[in-house]
Amino acid sequence: MSVELPDTTGVAEQSPEEIADLLGDLVIGREEHLNAPGFVIKPDTVVETLKRLRDDAGFDHLSCVTAQEYEDRFESIYHLTKFDDRTQEVSIVVPADKENPVSQSANEVFRTADWHEREAYDLVGINYDEHPDHRRILLPETWQGHPLGKDYDQDQPQVVPLREHQNPLLEDQQADNQSETMYLNIGPHHPATHGVLHIKAVLDGEQVVDLEPDIGYLHRCEEQMCQSSTYRYQIMPYPDRWDYISAGLLNEWAYARVAEDMADIEVPEYAQIIRTMGAELCRMAAHFLALGTFALDIYGDFTALFMYSIRDREKVQNILEDLTGQRLMFNYFRLGGVVWDLPEPREDFFENVRDFLDELPTALEEYHDMMTSNEILQMRTVGTGVLPPEVAKSYGATGPVARGSGVDYDLRRDDPYGYYENLDWDVVTEDGCDNYSRLLVRMREVEQSAKIVEQCIDLLEDWPEDERNIQANVPRTIKPDDDTEIYRAVEGAKGELGIYMRADGTEKPARFKIRSPCFSNLQTLPEMSNGEYVPDAIASLGSLDIVLGEVDR
Amino acid sequence: MVGPLQSEVVLFPERIANLLGLSGTLGEIVGALIGAFIVGNIMLAMTGVAGPWAKRKITAAFTDRIAVDRIGPFGLLTIVTDSVRLLSKELIIPEGADRPSYDIAPLILPASALLGFSVIPMGSGIQLADPEAGLALVFAFASIASISLVMGGYASNNKYSLMGGLRAVAQNIAYEIPLIVTAMSVVVFAGSLQMSTIVAEQTSTLVSLGGISIPAWYAFVNPFAFVLFLVANMAEIGRNPFDIPEAPTEIVAGYQTEYSSVYFVLFYLGEFLHVFLGGAIMATIFLGGPAGPILPGFVWFVIKIWAFFLFTQWCRSALPRVRIDQLIEIGWKGMLVLSFANLVLTAIIVGVIA
Repeated sequence: MSVELPDTTGVAEQSPEEIADLLGDLVIGREEHLNAPGFVIKPDTVVETLKRLRDDAGFDHLSCVTAQEYEDRFESIYHLTKFDDRTQEVSIVVPADKENPVSQSANEVFRTADWHEREAYDLVGINYDEHPDHRRILLPETWQGHPLGKDYDQDQPQVVPLREHQNPLLEDQQADNQSETMYLNIGPHHPATHGVLHIKAVLDGEQVVDLEPDIGYLHRCEEQMCQSSTYRYQIMPYPDRWDYISAGLLNEWAYARVAEDMADIEVPEYAQIIRTMGAELCRMAAHFLALGTFALDIYGDFTALFMYSIRDREKVQNILEDLTGQRLMFNYFRLGGVVWDLPEPREDFFENVRDFLDELPTALEEYHDMMTSNEILQMRTVGTGVLPPEVAKSYGATGPVARGSGVDYDLRRDDPYGYYENLDWDVVTEDGCDNYSRLLVRMREVEQSAKIVEQCIDLLEDWPEDERNIQANVPRTIKPDDDTEIYRAVEGAKGELGIYMRADGTEKPARFKIRSPCFSNLQTLPEMSNGEYVPDAIASLGSLDIVLGEVDR
Repeated sequence: MVGPLQSEVVLFPERIANLLGLSGTLGEIVGALIGAFIVGNIMLAMTGVAGPWAKRKITAAFTDRIAVDRIGPFGLLTIVTDSVRLLSKELIIPEGADRPSYDIAPLILPASALLGFSVIPMGSGIQLADPEAGLALVFAFASIASISLVMGGYASNNKYSLMGGLRAVAQNIAYEIPLIVTAMSVVVFAGSLQMSTIVAEQTSTLVSLGGISIPAWYAFVNPFAFVLFLVANMAEIGRNPFDIPEAPTEIVAGYQTEYSSVYFVLFYLGEFLHVFLGGAIMATIFLGGPAGPILPGFVWFVIKIWAFFLFTQWCRSALPRVRIDQLIEIGWKGMLVLSFANLVLTAIIVGVIA
């Protein structure tokens, strides 16, 4: 009884030596990261290197771009992997000059590099040559300095009068009279932006000509805060605040996984099952909310569907509250396990979960009756917001967004962690590539999550009392060796949630980089919306299910 | 067919004049003013109940919530507090607003709806006027609303408002024609545009089932026309699934985005009045007007228009919104063709039978 592993027979597996051969003299040095071999290349050979890896070795997923500053150099790391086989990874390390950090942009090979490199420029200060849109992304245009750089003065006031900076209003924003198009600001305060998002839209009548998401309104320096906290206890509460829509435990697991792998901590099986159960409950809650808010975008106002999904999410929240003592910011995971065992009396807890699972098919039937089988909804969502699989891959889209485009990619199965590989469940994909498919994927994933939770409950119920070990022995302080580097990801509610950490021998990470699935997913919005009607662009945004807390971090 | 009933109809202003013992021109003027005052206030009062209270309660019932229940029995006094709250808010007028039209637009919307009620027979003798072309007149009044929407949308100097205004015009043109063409099929049956005649024609018995006689309401005589009219009516008054001129999640609030305080209240009132007017037209030409057993006519009239209001709220809770291009397509390619087919068929059938 285990999940069916993906068919990777067609995917050639390369040893580090083969990759080194492939890259030939592009490689100027080697590094060893805990998750993957690292190859150091010259800053002006990025495109060629990535192209070779993508076309000849099948590394078609640029998962993340990490930038950081050392005492003597800047460095960008391209974390590459394959959509067909997530376990194969390679890190391309691109050092850049300390005085004049310039590195070639990877945008030509992977579209997702666009935003990732803008972020690297914004926060760390590396300049990317040949980048099509070299601007800040998270911080305001007027920001002085690069906050994650070494020489950044944190006490420097950032109130910069416009006269000391380029005045954005100076340039005439009004289109000339002959213009056929209309410029429209959607957000930052708009009923359909699901948070504080600003979309710069150019419309031709009701149709979208061009659309550009403007993010960063919710940037809270999460990476910086994690870098100034200790591995052992202080970082764990933060992940809850990235994707704050019920997905807390999934985020915590991202940190737990990367830190446990770095410090080589083995999690007891019993704790793994509790984690798996909690995480899937969170996924269900998150998907319910995604469903409800998508209904808001299509139906308008507070409709029955929104309340139904809130009702079901509430049931999950109650279970999670019983389990963790919290409803939103759980802080339940610890390195090496979870903070406490299931609530006593255990029978009541199991009964509550079972009641919820028993009612779930009826509830889902209700959703299908009201939503997916509604002709008007189908009219609105089928064939709109189309995201072809190749485009989705190029933008690094993951999670339900990629699976709605037929990309069979789920980290729970492809890069197994927790207890998933011992359980019986399926990865859900839909081939429609449209808003409807993404909706269906989420609804069917709720069913799969329920299946997982049910199996976990069965296992936990029969677990012998004296073997209920919820925590491994973890030292009080964790100080990984200097220069240990690792990038690990888990399947969050919205997709691949990855974390890169570099240790410097202290009990705090020297670099903590979060790869947010929403960040990459949101990048696909212009692809989906250009040429569509405004209502469909809004629906596409809803179907992406972004949480701005995670986009902006 | 046009019966002697017509001459017997005593209109509401005349009754008031008689009651006051006034006659001649003075009686007509005083009676008309008092009559209009009463009818207008009845409708405004209903809107007052519907807007801040009933709408919330109904939606809450559809979505498993409780809604307002803090002030007064069943939260009824919320109506008072909400009125005070809305009226005491700051009236914000955006920079660059086109002043006279920005201020006039919120007046036109409720006024057009109230004018429409002047020819509606509300039962128990409440009907202000009964002109020969009553049905044409009520549609004419109702469609003045579009002018208000496009005025408000244009004058607000806001792109969302402009989009809302344009959508409203496109939608109203697309649905007004099917609406009126469908209503014409009723005229073919009744042989008159006069509201009282249309109502009177529906009093005869269609069939008798076990002693219960089912009246010849045009909804029963021609259910197809009724459904067509219902759909076109929803689009005409801009309710779900055709609430496209407002479409909160797309264009914020459409033409009323920039309106606040009293102006917003007027728009809000106007919208509800138009919903009730839509219901009143439906009741009059398809549901036998104020006719009904036991209860007085006016009560039946109120029940019928509230039933229509309930229906709009039901749709609001349950139906997704169509896209603007789909809406126009349904209007021009579907509804228009169907309504003409309905008219031609009705004409042939009536011609053959009569």
